[in-house]
Amino acid sequence: MSLSDLLKLILDLLFSPWLFVPLIFPGLITVFLLILFIIWFERKIAAKVQLRYGPLYVLKQLGGAIQLVADLLRYLFAEPIVPEQTDKLAFVLGPIFLFAVSYIPSITIPVSSSFYAIRSDIGLLISLGLLTFGPAIVLVIGWASNNKFSLIGGLREGYLTMAYEIPLFISALSMAALYGTMDLVEMVEAQSGWTWGIILNPLAAITFLILSFMSTSRFPFEIVEAESEIVMGPFTEYSGILYGLTMGASYVKFYVLCLLFSIMFLGGWQPVPSFLSWSPVLPGVILLIKSLVIMVFGVFLRSVYPRYRIDQALKMGWHMILPLSIGSVFLSLGLIVLGVVP
Amino acid sequence: MKRGSTPIGRLINHLEAIETGIKYLFIPRMTVKYPEEIMELPEGYRGMIKYKKELCISCSLCAQICPANAMKMYLDESELKKEGGQAKPKRRPGINYTRCIFCGFCVDICPTGALEHVGIHDVAFDSFEAQLFKPKDFEEGPPKVEFERPPKRLRPKMDPKRGIVYEPAD
Repeated sequence: MSLSDLLKLILDLLFSPWLFVPLIFPGLITVFLLILFIIWFERKIAAKVQLRYGPLYVLKQLGGAIQLVADLLRYLFAEPIVPEQTDKLAFVLGPIFLFAVSYIPSITIPVSSSFYAIRSDIGLLISLGLLTFGPAIVLVIGWASNNKFSLIGGLREGYLTMAYEIPLFISALSMAALYGTMDLVEMVEAQSGWTWGIILNPLAAITFLILSFMSTSRFPFEIVEAESEIVMGPFTEYSGILYGLTMGASYVKFYVLCLLFSIMFLGGWQPVPSFLSWSPVLPGVILLIKSLVIMVFGVFLRSVYPRYRIDQALKMGWHMILPLSIGSVFLSLGLIVLGVVP
Repeated sequence: MKRGSTPIGRLINHLEAIETGIKYLFIPRMTVKYPEEIMELPEGYRGMIKYKKELCISCSLCAQICPANAMKMYLDESELKKEGGQAKPKRRPGINYTRCIFCGFCVDICPTGALEHVGIHDVAFDSFEAQLFKPKDFEEGPPKVEFERPPKRLRPKMDPKRGIVYEPAD
């Protein structure tokens, strides 16, 4: 076998969907770059709203754009301290599992109508189901840290899960009922011709968006990590790269939820001209841009909102969002009965 | 009825909050980028303190009034003062900038005006001991502030719409 054959084999392997999707887009490398970008952007936009500069002096020409690379290096070289009284195995493995379960659902995301790693009849249910592992691990971390702030933070995560998980599934399933499928590729195909989910069922879109903010502790639901109340919530005892993983995990989860949002409500990779749809590049870019817009809006809210109390968030979840999401199911059913959607 | 008491009213409140945030995105920043730009200090700014030995009458009032015990009298062996037939060393003030709170009481109480503020507030010391100014160092005045590149000077101005704005001083 010659060298060019070997190179071709490696390239074929790399660009095969079952390696490209988990590793490059929407998987690991994109996740990594996106975390570096979005945390920098979050600090930068919060600074702009507060009339200051934010990170600036690391690569000044681009407004401190590689600040997060410097932070990452710092995390990598800082000593990850494991306190004496902790449950050591759970303490060390917790952040790794948390990051993993936040990242794994991204492999169920299709990049285009013919480019995907996993295609299943219940693709939506799989990705949402995988996302629900996170809170359990946060609870384990909170317990294993042997710290009162960690325990309170973990319990807050448990409480919040009660508030967001049920309406999140209901509003997602209302879209499944509307399109008549839970296959993510078919969902996007059903939205061709600008009949996007957000136009058909805005109620489900709003509830899904709010609940994805709530489940990834974006403002105003930054209750789990509430820095001014309980230091860093469940992640108080962490340092070094273990802390970096816990911080990145919520952004990864947010990224996956934004991808799901753009697939369910913003038409996924639509509108791609049909003569370009054979290649996954343009659909992938469109999908990424749509979810990036949602992410940017999500991190922008940090500069607008204060933090809800835990009881206010729970009340909002049960009194407002749950009825709204049930309403969105009826809206979907109404649209089907009226024959608006096939 | 308050607007926040109905769901629609609350929705409007949320939208207004987001609108305010977006509006602030387009207002110019008000940061003074310190090492590159410096703000001109106003008249009567309470910076570090300068000591004029020739005016000092060794009355110790500054050390007595100092609320943070930063000002302290030291005995100066080089100057002797006749006091009841025998020569005693004169007392001179020294200041400890780790304690000083820049309240300016010592400057106010000095009967001869031997102490005064100078517009220096941004000195970095490389050791704890360097911040202790004995009478001899105190007399020489605060250290000079040096910048890597000459900074741009800005003057603060009140603007009726935007609050404090900065305009070039030159």
